[in-house]
Amino acid sequence: MNMKMNANVWSLNEGELRTPQMNHVIMMALFIGVGVVVGTFGSLAVPLGFVSAFWPGQAIQSVGCIWFGMWGGIASIVFPLISNAIAGSASIAVSLAYAPGNFLQGILAGWAFRFFKCDPRLKSGKDWAVYTVFGGILCNAIGAAWGVMVLRMFGLISPSSTLTVFLGWSIGNTVPSFILGAILLKFVSPLIVKSKSFCKKYWA
Amino acid sequence: MESVQTKKMMKTLLALIPVESPLYSFHPVSRLLLFVITGFIPLFINMPELNFMFAVVVLLLFIYSKVALSSLKMYLPVILCAGIFTFLTFIFFPGKDPDYKVIGHVFGLALYDQPIMNAFIAYSKILALLLSSIFYFSTNRERDILAALRTLKMPFVASYVLGLSLRSAGMFLEDLHTVREAEQARGLDYAAMKFTDKVKLYSMYIIPLISLALRRSDEISNALFVKGYSLKSSGKRADYILTKYRFSASDVATCVVLILLLVLIVYFKYRYQWFGSDHSLFQYVIK
Amino acid sequence: MGKIIEINHLTWQYTDTEKPALVDVNLDIEDNMFIGVCGPNESGKTTLVSCIKGLIPHNFIGSYTGEVRLFGKNIRDLRAKELAEYVGFVFADPEAQFTSMSVEEELAFGMENIGLGSDEIRERIDWVAKITNLENLLDKSPYDLSGGQKQRVAIASVLAMQPKIVILDEPTSMLDPMGKDSVFNICARMKEELNMTIIMVEHTMDRLARLSDRLILVHNGKIERYAEPEHFFENVDELVEMGLNPPASIVFLDQLKRAGLYEGPMTTSVEETIEIAQSICARKESVQ
Repeated sequence: MNMKMNANVWSLNEGELRTPQMNHVIMMALFIGVGVVVGTFGSLAVPLGFVSAFWPGQAIQSVGCIWFGMWGGIASIVFPLISNAIAGSASIAVSLAYAPGNFLQGILAGWAFRFFKCDPRLKSGKDWAVYTVFGGILCNAIGAAWGVMVLRMFGLISPSSTLTVFLGWSIGNTVPSFILGAILLKFVSPLIVKSKSFCKKYWA
Repeated sequence: MESVQTKKMMKTLLALIPVESPLYSFHPVSRLLLFVITGFIPLFINMPELNFMFAVVVLLLFIYSKVALSSLKMYLPVILCAGIFTFLTFIFFPGKDPDYKVIGHVFGLALYDQPIMNAFIAYSKILALLLSSIFYFSTNRERDILAALRTLKMPFVASYVLGLSLRSAGMFLEDLHTVREAEQARGLDYAAMKFTDKVKLYSMYIIPLISLALRRSDEISNALFVKGYSLKSSGKRADYILTKYRFSASDVATCVVLILLLVLIVYFKYRYQWFGSDHSLFQYVIK
Repeated sequence: MGKIIEINHLTWQYTDTEKPALVDVNLDIEDNMFIGVCGPNESGKTTLVSCIKGLIPHNFIGSYTGEVRLFGKNIRDLRAKELAEYVGFVFADPEAQFTSMSVEEELAFGMENIGLGSDEIRERIDWVAKITNLENLLDKSPYDLSGGQKQRVAIASVLAMQPKIVILDEPTSMLDPMGKDSVFNICARMKEELNMTIIMVEHTMDRLARLSDRLILVHNGKIERYAEPEHFFENVDELVEMGLNPPASIVFLDQLKRAGLYEGPMTTSVEETIEIAQSICARKESVQ
């Protein structure tokens, strides 16, 4: 009856079958809702037009992809569309153009945790290091680069301010998202990894 | 006064919407199309005066739709800060161009004509887009959004996920309210807290809230199963709620006009270079 | 009356638990019966009805042996849609079962899933809204209603699908007294007017016993008793030891029995209990 548990949360237990279930879809929807609230709050608290800075929604993207794989990735794309529309922090066209950047800035941490076999509960130095690099610094750098490119494309920032906006965006987002993400991983992961919604692979 | 306003407006999960509005006689698809097209038009227009006019038209739509303009107050910080930020980036990072002309100085910093013009262009677009986005959520319930998407044949599971996401945002806020009330009942004084403690507290709120979401995902998946829905469901299913909406002649006319408007703007912009900043009144004013 | 539910040697254990929630359960239920299910907390009541609905094993992870058959079909072979056509299920928490944004959509959702057309859905919504007094609430969000109204919506959404069996899992546990009343009134109406088998898990034994044709006592994952109310309450002490509250009339008759004043059958009817008390008084007076 009791299945033998692996030390590594990403490996399948003996005889364990994992397929996408309704539960994953529901959890994704609920997580989009969480992202909408956090994202809208962040956009309204630090309103800088279409530029993002000090946006805690990024933590939801990284953590969502670590816990729920591609479901988190989909949530990373969908919730900014809604929160941007509610907060008025981007038009539908700009939001759609942000979508690939949003996906990348979420899924990078999800990929890194699976690739380097890190524990979402942040138990070791390696876990912290991978989270800091991939879930904090790199993902925000990629997201900011994409976002700035989109704003340039739509002519919403000046060409010479590109580097400054990029730095402000990536550094500004890294701080709140790193703190919120670390809290989520440290305190909520123990519950999530035991749940049906946790994805050891990318879809289940 | 407040009670009158409460009667006129009602709360949805996303915003305050009017209880009654002439806009409600339009099909949700027409309203969605209005949102999408007004979300694109300003992007093709580089004449700030046109975009500001566009913003005024959207404001008139707010009035026509009986949206209490006082409900827009919460967006004022966004509107103002977006303007300040946009102008500051163009003032502090104007770039270099031999054709730039100095039109004045602020705190010893030279103001150039073209960057200021570009700031007006960018901000007028942001303002117009922002208002059109707010307009949509101030005049549509969640079920209208879903009805529009289902009419456009969005798969049921996708529209369901979207609906549940919107509902989840509302439940998340309600849960947050409950947690905060419980804390206050136990004597927690937010006013006396240091800023760092407040940040920590707000971050910690998310732990019970996500735990609740986890429990809810089980409950909702059980509820769906009980009602006979599963991901592997096959066969055609009736969409009862869509029978409540009618696509009238005025909807057809509205959709045709909106699409035509966008097509014409794109056509004249790229065929005849209309709506460029060169012919803008702002150019003359700045110069 | 034919058997519509057959449970044979059913044992179920949830993952990450020490012992099974149900142990070697055998049970047959006939059609058009009102079955009351009671038992102490954590005894396995909800697990039992979840097995009848097919939530277990379809939607839960654990170890399952034995079988549950609905109308002769093993529930493991039935899909969600077929199970919904056979069995409706009302949860304890009304909010946990809402899937839509308005009462009307909530009522329509299940019917859409089982493949009914829009016209039939409209007719059934009118019918079910009438019998559950929801006619004026159809346009509201189910979340904006009172507890009793919410549970009525949940019951109505199940009734609208017209299943052959309706399971109500502690439908009044989260309601105020008025809400409880409205739910019990609907249950009484369902029993009187609708041709269906109703299984109700409930802590309020008094009202449950009055509605039930038969009662099931679940304890430690086993079915300890399955009998008509008059036989079910023969050993009151055991029920009290389990922490259950037998109906006031039963406790009264049990005291009379202990005092040697009454030897007849137990009844949950207040009127019959009064008659018994009056006859005992009359007998005493005539003796004096």
